[in-house]
Amino acid sequence: MDALLHFLPQVWFVILGLFLFLYVMLDGFDLGVGILSLTSSNEERRSLLMTSLGNIWDANETWLVVMGGALFGAFPLAYGTILSALYIPIFMMIFGLIFRAVAFEFREHSNRKLFWNVAFGSGSFLAALGQGFALGSVIEGIAVDEAGHFIGSTWDWLDWRSLLVALTLIQGYVLIGSTYLILKTEGELQKTHFRTAKLAAVTTLIGAILITIATPVFYETARTRLFSPPLLYIFATIPLLGLLLVWLLLRSLNREEERTPFIWTILIFLLTFIGLGLIVFPYIIPTQITIYQAAAAPSALVFMIIFVGFLIPIMLFYNIYQYVVFRGKVAGSAYGD
Amino acid sequence: MIELLSNTVALSRMQFALTAIFHMLWPVLTTGMAIYLVIVEGLWLKTRNPDYYHHARFWSKLYVLNFGIGVASGLPMEFQFGTNWAPFSEAVGDFFGSILGFEGAMAFMLEAGFLGIMLFGWGRVHPVIHYLATIMVAFGANLSTFWILVANSWLQSPAGGEMVNGKFVVSDYFQAILNPFMVKSVSHMFFATLETSLFVIGGISAWYILNNRHEAFFARSLRIVLAAAIAVTPLQIYIGHLSAEQVYHYQPTKLAAMEAKWETSPAGQPADWSLLALPDESGEKNKWEITIPNALGYILEFKPKLSEPVLGLKEWQPSDRPRMVGLIYYSFRIMSGIGFFLAGLMLWSILQWLLGNLSPEKIAQQKWFLRTWIFAAPLGYIAVESGWIVRCVGRQPWTLYGQIRTADAASQLPASNVLTSLTLFAVVYSILFVSTLYFGSRIIRHGPNLELPVPGLENQPAIETEPATFVPNQRPVEAQQ
Repeated sequence: MDALLHFLPQVWFVILGLFLFLYVMLDGFDLGVGILSLTSSNEERRSLLMTSLGNIWDANETWLVVMGGALFGAFPLAYGTILSALYIPIFMMIFGLIFRAVAFEFREHSNRKLFWNVAFGSGSFLAALGQGFALGSVIEGIAVDEAGHFIGSTWDWLDWRSLLVALTLIQGYVLIGSTYLILKTEGELQKTHFRTAKLAAVTTLIGAILITIATPVFYETARTRLFSPPLLYIFATIPLLGLLLVWLLLRSLNREEERTPFIWTILIFLLTFIGLGLIVFPYIIPTQITIYQAAAAPSALVFMIIFVGFLIPIMLFYNIYQYVVFRGKVAGSAYGD
Repeated sequence: MIELLSNTVALSRMQFALTAIFHMLWPVLTTGMAIYLVIVEGLWLKTRNPDYYHHARFWSKLYVLNFGIGVASGLPMEFQFGTNWAPFSEAVGDFFGSILGFEGAMAFMLEAGFLGIMLFGWGRVHPVIHYLATIMVAFGANLSTFWILVANSWLQSPAGGEMVNGKFVVSDYFQAILNPFMVKSVSHMFFATLETSLFVIGGISAWYILNNRHEAFFARSLRIVLAAAIAVTPLQIYIGHLSAEQVYHYQPTKLAAMEAKWETSPAGQPADWSLLALPDESGEKNKWEITIPNALGYILEFKPKLSEPVLGLKEWQPSDRPRMVGLIYYSFRIMSGIGFFLAGLMLWSILQWLLGNLSPEKIAQQKWFLRTWIFAAPLGYIAVESGWIVRCVGRQPWTLYGQIRTADAASQLPASNVLTSLTLFAVVYSILFVSTLYFGSRIIRHGPNLELPVPGLENQPAIETEPATFVPNQRPVEAQQ
C-alpha cells in the first residue's frame, strides 16, 4: 500500500510532464511562428505563416487544457496554490492566447488586417512571456505555509531570474517556430527562417547556459540535489548532451537541411525538460510541497488513470494522423476554396 | 460601490459570471451546429445532391468563427478555478478536477484533433474519412457538454462522498458522476444547444429567403431545422419541467427564489402561482404580484394539491438563501417563456408546411412567417443564459450546494488584481463580441459559394446559381483587393 501511495503520484508526475512537454513543443512552435510574424516584411508572408498553423493551433493549445485538467485532478492543492500565486503571469498568458486565437478567425475575414496581425504577434509574445515567468517562478519556488497555501505577495514572480527564464523560453519558441517554418515553407521565406533559426539557436544557448549556472548558485535545494551522486552524473551529462545537440542543430542549419533542424530542436526541448523535471522532482510546489503531499486520494488517481491514461495513445494517434494529413509545404489557402 | 470594488470574493464572482456568460455564447452554437453539419454531410454522401455539400461548407464558416472564440474564451474558465477559487479547487479537486481532466482529454481534444480535417481536409482525405472527422467533432463537442454538466450537476446535488476536514472525500466515483441532477441536466443542456442552433440556422435561412437570395437552397435548411424542431422543442419543455421538479426536491432555496416565494405553502393544499411580481428583499415580500390561483400544484406536479410543502425564503436565515431574487425570478420566466414561444413557432410552421406554404415557390411570400423566424434566432441564447443564471445564482450562497460556501471558496487575492483582470475581460470581450457579430454578419451577407467544386463531381456541370449574388470569398484575401 505504501509503495502504491508513492507510485501513483509519480505516475501522474510523469503524465503531467508528458502533457506539458507536448504543449511546450507543439504550441511552442505556434507561439514562435506568432512572434516571428511580428518581423514579417509583408502581408503575403504573414498569410503563409498563419496558414501553416491554421489547422493545428487549437489542437496544440488543447494540450494546455488537458494538462490543466490533469493537474487539477491529480494535484488539487498545487493547482490552487500555483495558479493563485501566479495570478498575473497566468492572466498574461490567457489574454495572450485569447488574442492569438481570435486573430486566426478575424484576420481571415477582415479587410484591415493590421489590427489582427498585431493581435496575433503580440498575443503570441504575451502568452510566451507569461509562460516563461510562470515557469521561472515555479523553478525558483513559491512561498507557502505548512499546509501548502500561498503566503507570498502578488509580485513574487517578478525578478531577474524569472525574467531570464522568460526571455530564454521566448528564444526557444522562436527557435522551434523557425525550424517548423523551415519544414513547412520554401524559397525566400525558408531562407529567412534559416537565418532566424541560427540566431535563435545562439540566443537560446546563451540563456540556457546562464540558467544552468544560476540555478545551482542561487538555489540551495537545487544545489544539494545537483551535487550529490548519483544525480550528479546525470546532471553532468545533460549540459554535454545539450551542447552536442546544439552543434548538430547549427550544422544542419548550415547545410540547409529541411527536416533535421526541427528534430534536433525537439530533442533539445526534451533534454531541457528532463533536466527541469529532475531538478523539480519530487516537488510539485517547489521548494516545499512534494507530489505525495499534494496528490489527490489514491482512488482519484486510479480513477483518472483509467479514464485519462488509456486515452493518451488515442489522443497521440489522431493528433499524429492530423499531421500526416497536412504534411508537406504550405501553399496559399488552407480552406482550399 | 467602493466596498464592492475592494471585495475580492464579489469581484471573483463577477469575473466568473462575466467570463461564463460570454463563453457560453459560442459553444452553445457550435455544439448543436456540429450535429446539423453531420446531418447535411450525411445527406450529401447518401444523395450526392450538391446542395447538401454546399450547406456543409457554408455553415462550417460560421461554425469555425464561433469555435475560435469558444476556444479562446474557454481557457479562462478552466484556469479561474485555480487562480480565483484555490480553496475550492483544493477541497473538491479529487472529483471536480478529475472530471475537468476527462473533459479535456476525452472530449475537447477529440473535437480539436479532428477539426482541422473537417475544415481544411476536403481535398486531402476521402469523403468518408472526412465524414468520420465531422462525426468526431460533433461527438467531442457533445461529450464536452456531458462532462461539464456532470461537474456542474455535482455542484448542485453533491453525491458519492462527504466533506471531511474541509475536503470532499469521494467514496464512490460513479455515484458522484450519476448524481441526482446529472441525467436531466445533461439532457436539458444537450437539447438547449440543439434548439439554439436550430433556430439560428432557421433564422438565417429565413433571412435569405426573405431577401430573395437562394430561396430553394435555404428552404432546404429551413425544412431540416423544422423537422428537428418538431421533436426538440416539446421535449425541451418536458425536460425543463423535470429539472424544475428536481429543484423542488433538492434545492428548496432555489425554488423559493425562482418563484419569489417568501411564505411557505403547506403540503396537501393548493397554492397560487406567481406570474409577475416585484420582489423586495429587504422587506421580505413582493411589492406587488399577479398570481394565478391554485396553479402551483399543477405546474410542479400536474396535481391540484402539493404533495410536499413549498418552502418560502423566510424559512432560512438571510445568509443561507440566495440574493438577487428578482434576477432569478425573471430569468426563470424569460427562459420558460422563450421555450414556449419556440414550441409555438414550431407548431405554426408545421401548419404552414402542411398547408403547402413552405414549398420553394411559395415560401418567399410568407413575409411574417419568415420575420418571426428571424426574430427567433437570438432567443435560444437568451434562454440558455437565463437558465444558467437561475441555476448558478440560485445555488448561492453555496458553491457546492449545502457544503461549501462561495465566500469560503475564493482565493485570498489582492482585490486590485481581480479588478484589473475583470476590467480587462470586460473590455476585451466587448471588442470580441462586436467583432464576432460584425464578421458573422459579413459571412452571412456574402452568402454561400455555390461554385465550389464538389469532391468527386468536378467534371459535372455546375448547378444553377445566381451570378449576381455570387461573391468570391477565398483565401488569400489580398487577391480580392
